Amino acid sequence: MDVLSILKELSINTAVSGNEHTMSEYIKSMFEKYCDEAAVDSFYNILGVKKGLGNSNSKIMVSAHYDEIGFIVTGFEEGGFLRFSNIGGIDAKILLAQEVTIHGRKPLYGIIGAKPPHLLNAEETRKAVKIDELVIDTGLDAEELKKIVSIGDFITLKALPFSLKGNRLSSKSLDNRAGLCALALLLEELSELKHDADVYVLASTQEEVGLRGIQVAAYKLEPDLAIVIDACHGEISDSPKGEAYPLGKGPAIGIGPNLHRKLTNKIIDIAKEENIPYQTNIEPEDTGTEAWATQVSRAGIPTILLSIPLRYMHTTVETLDISDVKNIARLAARFISKGCREVGDLWCY
Amino acid sequence: MFDLIKRLCQSFGVSGNEEDIRDVIKSEIGNKLNEVRVDALGNLIAVKKGKGKKIMVAAHMDEIGVLATFIDEKGFIRFSNIGGVSQFFALGQRVKFRNGVTGAVFYEEKLDDMKNLKLSSMYIDIGAISREDAEKKVQIGDAACFLGETVQEGDVIISKALDDRAGCSVLLQAIKNLPETENEIYFVFTVQEELGLRGAKTSAYQILPDMAIAVDVTKTGDTPECKPMAVKCGGGPAVKIKDNSVICHPEVRRLLEDKAKQLNIPYQLEVLSAGGTDAGAIHLTAGGVPSGAISIPCRNIHSPSEIVSLKDLENAVKLLTESII
Repeated sequence: MDVLSILKELSINTAVSGNEHTMSEYIKSMFEKYCDEAAVDSFYNILGVKKGLGNSNSKIMVSAHYDEIGFIVTGFEEGGFLRFSNIGGIDAKILLAQEVTIHGRKPLYGIIGAKPPHLLNAEETRKAVKIDELVIDTGLDAEELKKIVSIGDFITLKALPFSLKGNRLSSKSLDNRAGLCALALLLEELSELKHDADVYVLASTQEEVGLRGIQVAAYKLEPDLAIVIDACHGEISDSPKGEAYPLGKGPAIGIGPNLHRKLTNKIIDIAKEENIPYQTNIEPEDTGTEAWATQVSRAGIPTILLSIPLRYMHTTVETLDISDVKNIARLAARFISKGCREVGDLWCY
Repeated sequence: MFDLIKRLCQSFGVSGNEEDIRDVIKSEIGNKLNEVRVDALGNLIAVKKGKGKKIMVAAHMDEIGVLATFIDEKGFIRFSNIGGVSQFFALGQRVKFRNGVTGAVFYEEKLDDMKNLKLSSMYIDIGAISREDAEKKVQIGDAACFLGETVQEGDVIISKALDDRAGCSVLLQAIKNLPETENEIYFVFTVQEELGLRGAKTSAYQILPDMAIAVDVTKTGDTPECKPMAVKCGGGPAVKIKDNSVICHPEVRRLLEDKAKQLNIPYQLEVLSAGGTDAGAIHLTAGGVPSGAISIPCRNIHSPSEIVSLKDLENAVKLLTESII
């Protein structure tokens, strides 16, 4: 599997939270290559199953959300400018002078303008940028624009992936298409390894607006064990200590009350046995990931969190090290194949 | 319709204390449906039986208000908010407890700057002369609603509690003139929406509908120097696209838009950047319920002078009815 080209392709696809149907069929066919079955549910979650050897009745869910942050059209201004608001967490500072695609009746190219420095007065240069004060310029006048665009249409940031030196890739939406890529790699690994449990891969929706897709999917599936794959903050020069992790040093394994301690220890043991690099990611409370919602679904689901360190999260230049994506899949696959035989005993504290 | 709305708005029903408004709604429904029941949290669930699709329609019957927390030795009552109460909207208003005792809401005058006004530096004056005197009328833990007459001015209604008695009136009108249908329809008047969509959550879990539509109020962008929003009072019912609690299911949104077009009634599209509604809790219930919402454009939300348009309400009734049969 050519990881670089899959990552690139997944990242340029668009699926803003709540508007994921644009990408669901693509993911379904990606899963179908390796799964016994795959289906899209009414919330556009995609669930694929890879049956185990049948020695166990347990169900393991491995999830990665595939929605991305974006925007929604909220109104029209005179002169053909579009007003918009954000879907998911976005720092308005990064939006000045960005290119966007408006997903109207047909895709429409637009730019978010910025007032030239010559025209900014002293007070404005110090003022924070607010999303509700920004507008999108498409070149069309209001009348023409309304024929193509309607309030409620989704907008995505437009950016192309590019490789940096070393093993690094920079692109939009690597949070969490990198996780989705890891799911595909995991399925490939599993086709060469034996596993007892049935493995359910889940590409989930609406994570960026409050862990919504996973809530309905986890409830429906009711797995015995869950592995959540998402991005964590990659280390940069001024990142706070203990909240960001270096790139290329392996997946970050989450530790904290949100996660099952014995299973977490087990996956750490397996990383050591298999010589897979890993880091630990200490989370004292809410991990801010789907693990938080998964753990308390129905009567409770023992959950593990594996994260890919990612720099500049929620921007168009999210940056990762490809080896971390590969290693997360290797680690999850070996845990499922090897560790899970003992899982029954591990569940009780 | 105005008389119905007036009856609903003037009934007491602060979140967690919905007994009175529930009785009023119950008697309005009468025996028009197959079954009317009250669940453990106090939701009123009225069912039209059928063999078709299971549809849940929700409007919350609770309203914002205040809760007496402490009575001082001079008989002044300190309070905390129930739901989103603005200190500025509350200042100088009157509140009424369920037993009818009315008080004036005022503030500690030694305040350096009005901007720093907080509910914790405000009190309710019921004219008591001592703690003992006050306790004869009001106990700690008693809830009170804001007072605000229900009046009609041309096409608009001005009142307290239009959030969401306006929605309740839409459901009741739809029940009254419900055409023949195969669908099994659950009209749910929910409790504790203002405290975090709590009644909707438990009622949806009992019903497990195939689809849900919430009817609630939404903000507008048509008053002087307000924040931009493409919804106008009187511009027709709004089909919700998103708020902070839900991104409406595309199929439900399409259904509502298509029906509005078919009926040839004006409608608007709503993208609300703050706030939530019952659909937020319903759509995440169990394995998920495709959900949407019809919103009544409402000015001055959470004040005792909320404003909605009668025409919008009448069109909302038509839109709701057509979408569930």
